[in-house]
Amino acid sequence: MAKPKLIKERVPTPERPVEERVKSFVEVNLGYDFASALKEAERCIQCPPEYAPCIKGCPVHINIPGFLKALRENADNPDEAVKNALRVIWNDNTLPAVTGRVCPQEDQCEAPCVMGKVGDPINIGKLERFVADYARERGIDQELLKEFIAETDGKGRVAVVGAGPAGLTCALELAKMGYKVTIFEALHEAGGVLMYGIPEFRLPKDILKTELEKLEKLGVEVKTNYIVGKTVTVEELLQEYDAVFIGTGAGTPKLLNIPGILLDRIYSANEFLTRVNLMKAYLFPEYDTPIAVGKKVIVIGAGNTAMDAARSALRLGAEVTIAYRRGREDMTARVEEIGHAEEEGVKFEFFLTPVEFIGDENGKVKAVKFEKMRPLEERDRRGKRKIVGTGEYVTIEADTVIIAIGLEPNKILVEASGFKANPDGTLIVDENLMTSIPGVFAGGDAIRGEATVILAMGDGKKAAKAIDEYIKDKKANA
Amino acid sequence: MYKILEKKEIAMRNTWYKVHAPHVAKKVKPGQFVIVRAFKNGERIPLTPVMWDRDEGWIVLIVFTRGKTTARMANELKPGDEILNIAGPLGNPAEMEKFGKILAIGAYTGIVEVYPIAKAWQELGNDVTTLHVTFEPMVVLKDELERAVGRHVVETVPIDPNLDFPTNMKNVTKRLVEKVREMLEKESYDLVFMVGPTGDQKAVFEVVKEFGVPMKADLHPIMVDGTGMCGACRVTVGGEVKFACIDGPEFDAYEIHWDELIARSGYYTDMEQRAMQEYMKLIEQALQGGEQ
Repeated sequence: MAKPKLIKERVPTPERPVEERVKSFVEVNLGYDFASALKEAERCIQCPPEYAPCIKGCPVHINIPGFLKALRENADNPDEAVKNALRVIWNDNTLPAVTGRVCPQEDQCEAPCVMGKVGDPINIGKLERFVADYARERGIDQELLKEFIAETDGKGRVAVVGAGPAGLTCALELAKMGYKVTIFEALHEAGGVLMYGIPEFRLPKDILKTELEKLEKLGVEVKTNYIVGKTVTVEELLQEYDAVFIGTGAGTPKLLNIPGILLDRIYSANEFLTRVNLMKAYLFPEYDTPIAVGKKVIVIGAGNTAMDAARSALRLGAEVTIAYRRGREDMTARVEEIGHAEEEGVKFEFFLTPVEFIGDENGKVKAVKFEKMRPLEERDRRGKRKIVGTGEYVTIEADTVIIAIGLEPNKILVEASGFKANPDGTLIVDENLMTSIPGVFAGGDAIRGEATVILAMGDGKKAAKAIDEYIKDKKANA
Repeated sequence: MYKILEKKEIAMRNTWYKVHAPHVAKKVKPGQFVIVRAFKNGERIPLTPVMWDRDEGWIVLIVFTRGKTTARMANELKPGDEILNIAGPLGNPAEMEKFGKILAIGAYTGIVEVYPIAKAWQELGNDVTTLHVTFEPMVVLKDELERAVGRHVVETVPIDPNLDFPTNMKNVTKRLVEKVREMLEKESYDLVFMVGPTGDQKAVFEVVKEFGVPMKADLHPIMVDGTGMCGACRVTVGGEVKFACIDGPEFDAYEIHWDELIARSGYYTDMEQRAMQEYMKLIEQALQGGEQ
């Protein structure tokens, strides 16, 4: 047999030119068409599923070679190819249009890809996205959905708290198994961070909403405006449902405990992004929610949230600087998004820790005072270099500041329900993701603290399996 | 979607909405609030259930027409229409204890938030006096409060048509401060509670402080989600940053950093005015269109 010919370089995906995209919130990356997707899929060397490192790298274990093979097998019938590929993906992940866009593939499925050792890894994320987008545009997903609708008679009822990635995945997996699922969501729209946190230019809300329509088609009920812990308690849910899944995330912003934190125009990234994404404040006054962004914005932090906030502020017409207390190589944001931010003109300042916000006579912020930091050789628990202050200070002018230094779990639920929790507010769970309250499971940022969309989805999926076992056992012993 | 069962103008710029919202009606306690989003492209605003019926599943909201969203609600919503979103109940309930003799003050439409708390305090065995200070045509809930508490005092200030609204409001502040001083001089109270504009809360607090009476205030910072996920409503209380939506809205008036709070409430004044002006333009256009 002839040795397979390796194509080392990935097929690129087109992007909107910088000068055009910084003026609006439209999506930056335009994705593959069928011909280019096929070309990229053909680079995959088709490792056997039981070995394929890409599958192991994916937190929900999508059969990646399987869906790429499905594309290749029907090269002359795109609709059929996509339908077969989507079926393979949906077996493990019901939100591929989302994950194909927002996963840090470079750390997950694409990191161990064998092709990455000789050239570029397969562009798995963009291929997953292509399958989902093409299927949606041609209505193929609606046809396929019928195959996944399960009989719900008598299997059981499950309440899911929080309609973010963890809760959505748990609900969809349980619905596919035949459970009757109700999601309780505090905000007026489902989606969690996908709706209020991640901007349109990375994840268009129309696409998200179409993905969320699957919930209804699979028989999942969504109750918005329900704040579990206030509107209804976990105890009450347990009386009505066979099990409960908590996917309430980590939505409380950490703020800096330094002078001036209450000055005008200092936002938490969560407030800033919620106004922009959920409330569409960038369309004010067509939309009623206002947002006040000046000419010079400083974003503090260097995770994905910081990139999203910086690029959003840029699109509102500001000059934006990201200030980070560590160095370039310590940034936690996705490589692709750091690249986008740089292309779009976001400036970066490293080794600066804010020590004071300085205000003008009207109580508006006018500058941020930073201490210059210096890295040490020693590393912390997460493998990042430790830093120390140098005693030198620098003051940078700014008329708006956005704080993106991290999030922690919301305390409403824990306080109201008496869960065993860690000091940082994350819920304590066992190996089956069950909390200290029997029948109540939890996953995502609610147990991990701030992590990623796909890890939350992995937890949602794992919890769905555990809930299925739990309910089966309960019914067998009843 | 939450159906409007009743809607009526009960005083100048004060609209009464009785809304079907069983999830809130079932759980709400005095001192808690809801977040309402009335329109598709609308904003989220905090409002307070004034009355409720747990069995029938309704709540009453009384809304002061203050800017675009409240004006749109007053103009565009009809009985039978639906409010898109009502999330709640939110915030902590008011402390329900036997404090003794209480003076509960409501400035303007703030009295509607005082109502459920004062009523519950009275029912618990407290001796509650309520004080409502507002413009003459804006008196609301007079009969209801007279029935609910030991004594209800209404102090009104006429609207001087030659003066602009902010100047007129200064007269309310003046009367408020005078009346509170007069009442504290005449009788001793165990607790003062107040709902109203932050500037007025501070002015009253300055008087109460002189008498050394404990005071609580329901704060009204800007809110977005109302569930503790953004910190828009942050306030400094006792030197610590608190989120009014989850740690409040009621705080010890002696611990609140009043000046900071007053500054924060004016953050969006320009944009609020712009939103209102654009809305007025739309109404004018619609009126002109109707005449043709």
